[in-house]
Amino acid sequence: MAANGHSGGGDRPMDTVSGRFSPEAVAELEEIVSHYPDRRGAMLPALWIAQREYGGSLPAEAIKEVAERLGCPPVEVEGVASFYTMYNLGRRGRRHLEVCTCLTCAVLGAADTLRALEEKLGIKVGQTTPDGEFSLAEVECLNWCEAGTVVQVGGRYFGNVTPDKVDALVEQIRQIQDTEAVTQADQIVKVQLARRHDGTADG
Amino acid sequence: MASDLVNITINGTPLQVPAGEMIIESARRIGVEIPHFCYHPRLSKEAGANCRMCLVEVASPRKNPDGSVTLAKMPKPQTSCSLPAGEGMVIETETPAIIEARRGILEFLLINHPLDCPICDRGGECPLQNNTLHYGPPTTRYVEEKRHLPKAFPLSEHVVLDRERCIHCARCTRFAEDIAGDAQLGFLKRGADMEVSVRTGEQFTSLFSGNTIELCPVGALLSRSYRFRGRPWDLMTQKSICTECSNGCNIKLDHRAGRFVRVNARLNEDVNEEWTCDRGKFGMDYLSGPDRLTTPLVRRGNRFEAVGWDEAIRRVAEELGQAGRKSAFLGGIRSSNEDLFVMQRLFREVLGSSDLDHRVGPSFDAEPVIGVGQGQVARAPMSLVELEGLSLFISFGCDMAWEQPMAYLRVRKGWRRGALTIASVARHGTAEDERPSSLAPISAVRVRHDEGGELQVALRLLGEVLRQGGDGTAVPAELAAKAESAVTEQGADAEAVRRLALTLFEAGKGASDGRSVAVWIGEAARTNRQLPDILQTLSAALSAAGVHGVVQVPAMEVNEQGARDLGIAPTWLPGYEQADPAGRNSAEILAAVAQGDIAALWISGLDLATRYSDPAAAVRALESCPFLVVTDLSLTKTAQMADVVLPVTSVAERNGTYTNVEGRVQRFWKAYDPPAGVRQEWRIAAQIAARLGTEIHYASSREVLADIAARVPLYAGCGPDALGDGGVRWASALAGEVGR
Ligand code: SF4
Ligand code: SF4
Ligand code: FES
Ligand code: FES
Repeated sequence: MAANGHSGGGDRPMDTVSGRFSPEAVAELEEIVSHYPDRRGAMLPALWIAQREYGGSLPAEAIKEVAERLGCPPVEVEGVASFYTMYNLGRRGRRHLEVCTCLTCAVLGAADTLRALEEKLGIKVGQTTPDGEFSLAEVECLNWCEAGTVVQVGGRYFGNVTPDKVDALVEQIRQIQDTEAVTQADQIVKVQLARRHDGTADG
Repeated sequence: MASDLVNITINGTPLQVPAGEMIIESARRIGVEIPHFCYHPRLSKEAGANCRMCLVEVASPRKNPDGSVTLAKMPKPQTSCSLPAGEGMVIETETPAIIEARRGILEFLLINHPLDCPICDRGGECPLQNNTLHYGPPTTRYVEEKRHLPKAFPLSEHVVLDRERCIHCARCTRFAEDIAGDAQLGFLKRGADMEVSVRTGEQFTSLFSGNTIELCPVGALLSRSYRFRGRPWDLMTQKSICTECSNGCNIKLDHRAGRFVRVNARLNEDVNEEWTCDRGKFGMDYLSGPDRLTTPLVRRGNRFEAVGWDEAIRRVAEELGQAGRKSAFLGGIRSSNEDLFVMQRLFREVLGSSDLDHRVGPSFDAEPVIGVGQGQVARAPMSLVELEGLSLFISFGCDMAWEQPMAYLRVRKGWRRGALTIASVARHGTAEDERPSSLAPISAVRVRHDEGGELQVALRLLGEVLRQGGDGTAVPAELAAKAESAVTEQGADAEAVRRLALTLFEAGKGASDGRSVAVWIGEAARTNRQLPDILQTLSAALSAAGVHGVVQVPAMEVNEQGARDLGIAPTWLPGYEQADPAGRNSAEILAAVAQGDIAALWISGLDLATRYSDPAAAVRALESCPFLVVTDLSLTKTAQMADVVLPVTSVAERNGTYTNVEGRVQRFWKAYDPPAGVRQEWRIAAQIAARLGTEIHYASSREVLADIAARVPLYAGCGPDALGDGGVRWASALAGEVGR
């Protein structure tokens, strides 16, 4: 006899799901779900797809849609999404600056750099400029410690950032094309799917 | 079975325990208490073992290459709440290493804990405080700044969260998902930022949220109504019964200086286990409410005048005495069994009236409990424990989590185990479809019908059962014909009803002995005038499908079942003996009042003017009533229309018994003195009888109960000495079952 686990439909999606997933996205998700023993196992890729479908962030409706598609409680989805730094729960700028303040960068003055960026952009960490151009986040090690302080914007890295370079950096980032800044999620999903299909990593 | 037992040793004491039992539980068997926070026997272990408080040292036997066996000690301490017992395990719970490890865990848990015990409601009954006192380090080495978060974040109208105090044990989140089934709580963020939360922007609207306050091992989840209202050591506690619904949860009623303070759950494995619902936990403030009546009131023209009891009793006795047979009684569903028994004696024996009714309409010919199948105790409602083991539960127009909270938890528990299928039949737009705690999302079959469509669904179901090969021999031809024509009609719910019929057959298979199906009719369906037909049709469907079970209209008010059992009804006496002559039901009584055929009406604990199925008719009748006496705690709309209002004691102010939804007679005990000027209802009834020249003499409510047990065979097993703390189901007593 199978025990019933979850509060909602358990191992099935709700009868009707309203949301913004395109038919292709639904097909993509269902393909990924088929690799897991239960639907909620596909939570991380589902959130990536949602982030892409919702234009780079995960508003409350996106959380709800993922919960319904995976048949699990919305608060659990929000818990997972808020656990990881690369899902964006709040409104995010078109150019999202992620500043490493982990150990090496911290020793190399990340705190000062971060403060300089806050002043330059006129926002605090976690906020977005009123015009929606920039948002600022503090993240853990970006794995380029020899170039601390490191700033990541979408798929691009900027190394050796110091307070006096902040003006020039912001101008440089302003030149990046919108699409380039927000397509990161899409790429990660593609990489994951590609790996699955050639069998290099499953589950 | 012996093969399922393993031999282990705890602190030098050998014992046998079931294989796989968690060591923390095995230790309890020999009185060894292992300190813990996240472990809770009723919650899933899935997300558990995260507080690390329950560490023990373990050695297990290991076979050497030469065949000899030696004890191999696990290099690190293990969490005993997630360590299954295995053959030959040797466990130590008090070694120097363990004592040191516990200190470390507590020091760690306290790093970010504000230690504001002096202003914390939990102080004095806090597991974190207690464990720190017993096992913790006396001081801390942490000098850095602690985490700061909002102190009293409102999660809902009942519960606030102090995020600084939370130790992330996941008891509350597991309760919400596993037990209540609404899964509104979860953990957001991670590391030092991790916090318990509802979804951003939402509220903790669960109907069972209050339980998390008791489960939280620190002062993180707190009751808004109790916040800063007292310290646990200043409170007195009395064993009591919740009065907010028929489930009869056993509660601890905390009071201080003669006033009610709060409700906590009291363990009763057969009733509420250790839970309450929010209706009860936060709904008993009325006990010390500002609107309590404290003196009898007599109408003088357009206003009430406070009078002494002598005068009030004399007046009521005169009026009732004059009215004699033309007096009637309504309500009683919030009175104790003792009140009801004496009251019906006053009306039947002294006044010669059979016009008593506890029902507020509109269906008076409905038999509330219909057993289908062999060997059932007549009229016995299903027990709460039995619900867990059913194959099929059909919620029929019943908003289970709201109307029958503990029954809801039982059904959900059965479903979680995997053997119970749930079907939900309700009107479109039922409140249940919107609730966070609801059977609807976990129902295998969902039938939704239009307003008033209950009988149609029942007929369709019967029709489907007959079509699919059900045994129709016992079904009256007329009913079978109606059912057949109902099936042929097209309807949106046709497919769902067909599936319900299949599920019913399924439930009958393999379950030859014992009851496997229950149909619970809720408030939405019981206000349908066709209720008797609905019940008859549903029970015909069950029996045609060959299943044993019960179709019942469960009681809803705290002592509605007691009022049924003790004959607050025109056609039956206490114990369901037939009344001869029969009296009139509440609709007929109100009509008779309007026609001047009833001279005196007594209404007890029932706001008829708002609760009657046709409130306007009730108000018209009451307005024309020559003499109306009302017994209640406060001046309800009905009481405002009375000629005499008699204030009565609350559940906290006397001893007595109620009978819950499963027919369990349960005691409650006096917690504090009633306000001066308030009396017990049965004593009022006895005093009136005495004035009218008939002695109904009892010295105490205990004596009344003893007399009930002596005179009413149904309650023979429920005398004062039999009840204990947990009560006795009369049906179990009649069937000779011991204990339950
Ligand atoms: S709020 Fe209380 S019960 Fe919930 S995780 Fe925190 S400490 Fe545990
Ligand atoms: S289930 Fe009923 S008896 Fe129990 S706490 Fe809730 S209202 Fe009170
Ligand atoms: S510490 Fe900043 S990149 Fe590693
Ligand atoms: S009680 Fe065992 S880890 Fe919490």
